[in-house]
Amino acid sequence: MSFETWDGDDESAAGRFVPLYVLVNGRTSPRDSTLDLATQVVALPVDTRRLEPEYLEIVRRCAGWISVAEIGAYLRLPLAITKVMVDVLVEQGYLAVGTPAQQKIIDTHVLDQVIAGLERL
Amino acid sequence: MDRTSVKIVVAGGFGTGKTTLVASVSEIPPLTTEEILTEASLGVDDTTGVEGKSTTTVALDFGRITISPDVVLYLFGTPGQDRFWFMWDELAQGAVGAIVLVDTRRLDTSFPAVDYFERRGIPFVTAVNRFFGECDYTEDEIRGALELDSRVPLVWCDARDKESSKLALITLVRHAMARLKVKA
Repeated sequence: MSFETWDGDDESAAGRFVPLYVLVNGRTSPRDSTLDLATQVVALPVDTRRLEPEYLEIVRRCAGWISVAEIGAYLRLPLAITKVMVDVLVEQGYLAVGTPAQQKIIDTHVLDQVIAGLERL
Repeated sequence: MDRTSVKIVVAGGFGTGKTTLVASVSEIPPLTTEEILTEASLGVDDTTGVEGKSTTTVALDFGRITISPDVVLYLFGTPGQDRFWFMWDELAQGAVGAIVLVDTRRLDTSFPAVDYFERRGIPFVTAVNRFFGECDYTEDEIRGALELDSRVPLVWCDARDKESSKLALITLVRHAMARLKVKA
């Protein structure tokens, strides 16, 4: 394997030392395909000492419920990478997942709440 | 312990006021997140200017409205450039529906968005943004130009105005619910 071809441009600009593809072991999509940009996750009270710094940073962002999109925005990670990293953390029991949008889309009770919430704004 | 997220897509041509609308109702200043594109996700003709570059990024703006302790609404603006359709698929999947913003000076820029949601059967409302001044067209003329189905709601709005953006969102959610009831 040659490292000559890696120009490192994008990462050095962001001050990142570990290339993004290394962080996710070359995975490009989450195993849980229902993981959506709007899916909510929250940290579980478990020991995080064994986590890599980049993963630990995500867990720290998840002290309260937060969406995959927000994690990506705050940590300046591309969405595809964020999704895979969140998925890994869910798989390993560091994060819990909320109900993805699509599962309750037909639930008009939720939509009633949304209308009421918008009216209160 | 559970938390439900609800998604609404804010679409429209470049410069129609998508981020402005998101900002007018969002409880946080709109956030930007990026997706990396590989050449494979771009159309063959679209790599002009990025030759020799293996990746490019597409920015996505979004906002958040907390509805209740267990329901959060996210508003995702579509990328400014129409060619990133694969991002639209990601945004539209599982969404309640979409608001298609229309700039009356350039009606045609919103046509691809109308076409996109129509083809996929995703509920949407058109919001004619008056931000750009007096509108020279009647509702019928706009409907004609965008080939809108008569059942698709059309609202007049000012994307800078919170009340106006709220109305567009409420109209969309009601429209989506009415369609669910028809299907059921």
